[in-house]
Amino acid sequence: MASNILSIGQSALAAAQVEINVTGHNIANVSTPGYSRQVAIQSSAQAQNFGYGYVGQGTQITAIQRVYSDLLAVQVTNAQTNSNELNTYATQMTQIDNLLADSSAGLAPAIQDFFKSIQAASTNPGDSASRQSVLSTAQALASRFQGMGELLDQIGQDVNSQLTSSVYLVNSYAQQIAKLNDAIEIAQSINGNPPNDLMDQRDQVISDLSKQIKATVVQDGGKYNVFIGNGLPLVVGTQTYPLSMANSPTDAGRLEVSYLNNNGKPTILGSSSLSGGTIGGLLQFREKSLDNIQSQLGLLGVAISATFNQQHQLGVDSAGNAGGQFFTVAAPSVTASTNNTGTATTTVAISNVSALTGSNYRLKFDGTNYTITRLDNGTAQTFPSLPQTLDGLDFSITAGAVAGDSFLIKPTAQGATSFSVAINNVSKIALGGTPSSGPGDNRNALLLAGLQTTSTMLGSTTSYEGAYGQLVSMVGNKTNELQVMGKAETEMLSQAVASQQSVSGVNLDEEATNLLRYQQAYQAAGKVMQIASQMFDVLLHLGG
Amino acid sequence: MRISTNTIYQNGISRISDLQSEQSKLQQQISTGRRILTPADDPVGASHALEIQQAQSVNSQYAANRVAAQRNLGIEESTLSSVTDLIVSVQSTMVSAGNAALSDTERGYLATQLQGSLDELIGLANSKDGAGAYMFAGYQTATQPFVKIITGAQYLGDAGQRLVQVDASRQMAVADTGDSVFQGNGQDVFKTMTDLITLLQTPTPTPADKAALTAGLVAADTGMQAALDSVLTTRAMVGSRLNELDALDVFGQSRDLQYAQTLSETQDLDYAKALSQVSQQQTILTAAQKSFVAITSLSLFDFIR
Repeated sequence: MASNILSIGQSALAAAQVEINVTGHNIANVSTPGYSRQVAIQSSAQAQNFGYGYVGQGTQITAIQRVYSDLLAVQVTNAQTNSNELNTYATQMTQIDNLLADSSAGLAPAIQDFFKSIQAASTNPGDSASRQSVLSTAQALASRFQGMGELLDQIGQDVNSQLTSSVYLVNSYAQQIAKLNDAIEIAQSINGNPPNDLMDQRDQVISDLSKQIKATVVQDGGKYNVFIGNGLPLVVGTQTYPLSMANSPTDAGRLEVSYLNNNGKPTILGSSSLSGGTIGGLLQFREKSLDNIQSQLGLLGVAISATFNQQHQLGVDSAGNAGGQFFTVAAPSVTASTNNTGTATTTVAISNVSALTGSNYRLKFDGTNYTITRLDNGTAQTFPSLPQTLDGLDFSITAGAVAGDSFLIKPTAQGATSFSVAINNVSKIALGGTPSSGPGDNRNALLLAGLQTTSTMLGSTTSYEGAYGQLVSMVGNKTNELQVMGKAETEMLSQAVASQQSVSGVNLDEEATNLLRYQQAYQAAGKVMQIASQMFDVLLHLGG
Repeated sequence: MRISTNTIYQNGISRISDLQSEQSKLQQQISTGRRILTPADDPVGASHALEIQQAQSVNSQYAANRVAAQRNLGIEESTLSSVTDLIVSVQSTMVSAGNAALSDTERGYLATQLQGSLDELIGLANSKDGAGAYMFAGYQTATQPFVKIITGAQYLGDAGQRLVQVDASRQMAVADTGDSVFQGNGQDVFKTMTDLITLLQTPTPTPADKAALTAGLVAADTGMQAALDSVLTTRAMVGSRLNELDALDVFGQSRDLQYAQTLSETQDLDYAKALSQVSQQQTILTAAQKSFVAITSLSLFDFIR
């Protein structure tokens, strides 16, 4: 009987010890990322029938479980992926927003200074100092264009390298998940108990993964199968399917996220199949904003160059010769897809500057028809033959196109980086109206100066500065929208984390209470054992 | 609701950091004086500000153009004023030349005097403006417009009228061509004066010669009067252009004021509001910091001995 009491006391002592261990483990991991608090599940031991009734045999710890909710965890990872996508997009846009922020350093004052110098030269057309000032302000305008264009190019390069490191992270997370799947399965198979800390680690990796890209987890027994984008498997059991980076087939210098298909050939994944997280945000930014802003800024360069040159060529320079080109910009860029099998080359030329939209285009041949898609809004037009004129552009193609061939056309993407002044001699500035009219002739200067406020762009609806204002307003609106949405998503995330933490997080006061409780249980168990020993002493003294 | 220790810290930190970033933005607005720091702060306002800045810049350029026009027209006016004086003095010389008591020799002295006046007049017609350009040469601003010839002076300029953009929709002539001022409307002041000099140098021994002298003086008088009319007409035009420039200046200045005001309303900071926001934020931030410290310093472990 006394030995039974002793063993009951011992079981209580052991249970309290385990519980103090669990409490200590919780306290130790209070700030471990992804840690879920653990509880020891205690139950009474199987009672023994002594004829007069069942006598309890003490207590036992049946399991140590983590307090974890799948539902709350999914809410956190979803909020994580959305908030990271929007905030990545917003961070990128903020860079451009800041670039346009300073009204004294932006493009607007450079355009104003340039036209001011032409106005000043018109009051004194024969003066070489006035003419020099026209050239200097033109150079300043060109370098402002180039500087802004190069910054946008740099941002495009940064997107490449950020995508590369994100894809590296995704692959490394995939491997960690596969390894943890394996370890968890082995641990569980030993006695069926959940390896709580390994499971926390795996859930933490899923949470980290969802910061990079939207991930869907499907549980398969103890294993996680992870899918990204439109159901592309990333991890199945212990097998991983890594992503890689590949050069864009149509866009030199651009890296795309790709996926090795069954034949081991890389397949490029579009932004539609890679949503969420840093990767989703970067791709959205590049496709929906960066390309557009680059082309719109370029459009301004192309328009100033073309309209100014046109008027300049109608004038006469100091030597009485007809004016030449004042500015130069790159012609529309056309790149054939590296996947093309045909030999055709496409040429695109600007025929009407005022009709240009600033969008990029894709030309695709299906064997019989040519489809030209405007990429900023997706409108497509199909033609049985080329050449065709669309949005102020002449599209033409040589023979030899094969079905499936495609070309990417960026009419104005280099309009800012390539913007430069074509003349370097003040006497070449064509301020005069007719040949041999004398140095006081300022008729063309007046017409050139008038271009500043003439509606020459976007279907003759707006001036240069008006078009620049539209660009600034577009960037401002998008940045503002993303910042507001990003804030809302961050708020959602912190709420999701708070509710997840309210279930799984460690509360130190609660652990302190538990510590006291289990300490007392331990002390009480010790007392039980002491009493058992005293009872044994009573029996021994009976004999003595 | 159960709350985890992490959440307590997380909430405290994120609220404090939100408040700090709001404060930093306010500080930036106050130090720059601008409400719109980047276009995202107010996209519509930012592009509106660009429009106003361009309008203001163009307006200020028109003002600079008007200064140049005023300078040119001012020099033209003072030159023409000297021309007027000169013509008037020639006319009074002509009156003395009409005195029948004068001998041929005495008329010869007057001719010599007029020869000087003619040279002076050609000099005035060849005046340059402040930038060194010949004023009455049309577009040929580098070419001396009048060259003395045996019958008077030859015009080497052209008919080009130099215009300057003095307002959005106003281009104003800032020079008049020499042929229209000195040789226009069927008169030629140089030829009239050359003829007059030849006339005064011609001796009058016979009554027929005397009659020719009288007739010549009448013709010269008509010619000089026409020349004076032409110069005075030009001066009247120059004067009215100068008046118009003054009026445009007044308009331009009031427009500039208006632009400055609109621009300020669009992008400038309301300091009173911003400063009161700063002190409000400060109160909240101090309270948040104090309460954070108070809440996190409460721990049951402190009481376990």
